[in-house]
Amino acid sequence: MAVIEVNHLSKYYGRTRGIVDVSFQVEEGEIYGFIGPNGAGKSTTIRALLGLIYPSGGNARIFGQDCIEKGPIIRRDIGYLPSEVFYYDNMKVIDLLKYSASFYPSSDYQRIYELSEMLDLDLKRKIEDLSYGNRKKVGIVQGLLHSPRLIILDEPTGGLDPLMQQKFFQLIKSENQHGASVLFSSHILTEVQKLCSRVAIIKEGIIIGIEDMRTLGRTSYKRFVIELAEVVDENYFDLPGTANLKYEDGSFTFLFQGEINQIVDRIHKHQIKNLIVEEPSLEEVFLHYYEPEGEQ
Amino acid sequence: MNIFIQEFKISVVSALYWTAAMTLFILFFMLMYPPIAAQAQVMENLLNNFPLEIRRALGITTMNLSELLGFYGFIFIYVLLIGSVYAMKAGLSGLSEEIRSGSVDFLLAKPVSRLAVATAKTSSLLTNILIQNLLFLTAAFFIVGAYQDSSFDKSVFLQVNLSLIQSQLFFAALGAFTAVIAHKIKSPLPIALAIVFIFYILQMLNDALGDGKLLYISPFAYFSTPRIIEQGIIEWHFVLLNLLISTILISLSFCLYQRKDLPA
Repeated sequence: MAVIEVNHLSKYYGRTRGIVDVSFQVEEGEIYGFIGPNGAGKSTTIRALLGLIYPSGGNARIFGQDCIEKGPIIRRDIGYLPSEVFYYDNMKVIDLLKYSASFYPSSDYQRIYELSEMLDLDLKRKIEDLSYGNRKKVGIVQGLLHSPRLIILDEPTGGLDPLMQQKFFQLIKSENQHGASVLFSSHILTEVQKLCSRVAIIKEGIIIGIEDMRTLGRTSYKRFVIELAEVVDENYFDLPGTANLKYEDGSFTFLFQGEINQIVDRIHKHQIKNLIVEEPSLEEVFLHYYEPEGEQ
Repeated sequence: MNIFIQEFKISVVSALYWTAAMTLFILFFMLMYPPIAAQAQVMENLLNNFPLEIRRALGITTMNLSELLGFYGFIFIYVLLIGSVYAMKAGLSGLSEEIRSGSVDFLLAKPVSRLAVATAKTSSLLTNILIQNLLFLTAAFFIVGAYQDSSFDKSVFLQVNLSLIQSQLFFAALGAFTAVIAHKIKSPLPIALAIVFIFYILQMLNDALGDGKLLYISPFAYFSTPRIIEQGIIEWHFVLLNLLISTILISLSFCLYQRKDLPA
């Protein structure tokens, strides 16, 4: 069963584009990545799912029910960590978390203490005195304290140090193993790579690809770094199947998909100073998607 | 209920500060009552030199400053202003608080309907206003009552004071409505001051012109203290009109709040 079904969802702010015709599905028990550069429409999509903004077209369903009509009921089983974490400044952390817990019938107050201890969060401090990273921790605890069936994370790792990020990922994985589905939005590919099984890629408000993480990992692209002893034309390796070709200080860098012999053909005629052939990082594969039209 | 308690907790202190300000204001000026009353004739002669329009605008044509209630009514106009600014500010803050502080994604992502949020916030605001009025009325009663040698009409005193809550209801409703139609309100107090004073100036203009055409524009005219003291009774059609306008404004803001896109 799909936990989230987004069908042709659009949002315009006056004439300004928010998102256009966004569709994707998150299956039960899956960790689903949602990736794109800043301003691509990730938060807009998520905020529409939560009923914070009203779509201009299309609809979205969570647990099979309409997000707008059944919003309050659906949200009982959602844990949401917003990208910007602001709360009522005058409150103490513990009071805010108890307030948050009071909204959910399934809240376990003991979990506030467990999670805070795990994340090293001081419950007695005032929200306004907290650093960005510590506010994020408050966000994580308030998002998880009711053991939600669906966890929505919008750029969750900003402000967290690497050690804390690791703890956070473990936490999300363990929630997932206990049955929670996760929608994980980010502009950092490596973190999505670590967690997600599938990923939707959004750019300028439009979904430009939905990929299985394993196929993406096993992409047929190879990354070449070639340094030749002689000077050749900078478009020397511009063959069909070449992408992201760069020439700098006598060294070529590019991605190539296709018959490797074509490249070998080109290099064996020259003296080679350096040659590296490797699996490209996902970052580089996605670079296509990120680049504005026409520059690919 | 949890939202109501939370809202009430964060707003009640401010309500009490404003109540204290109103009470201190009355206390301070009532201390001046004996010397002014003693020389009321001199004072009135002085004021009578002002043009009639200005005296009307200041609400001192029909007021007898040598009488306890007349004097109280004269200074009460300013309490009405302070109270209205508070109500407008609180009305503006309530429904715009999350948008201003960026906590929309906290509260409105909880399993509650927008209607429940708006109802809880409005109830908290009305509770604050009610508490404020009860406290102020009690304090004012004892302050005015301290001048035992001059008796006063308690029914008229009550009716003068009742205009506070009615005017506050209007401005709270107007504040809520403004909060919902505005995209984002950065600081409620300056807006509240501006709007309340515009309505007050309208009332002064209305009194100065004295032709009654502007009478229905400003709630300050509905509950004009000099008129209440003169006639000894609140005019019911104004009470009902004010109630109607306030209800419409609050209902509209509830409807609009439910359909509003909440910026992060």
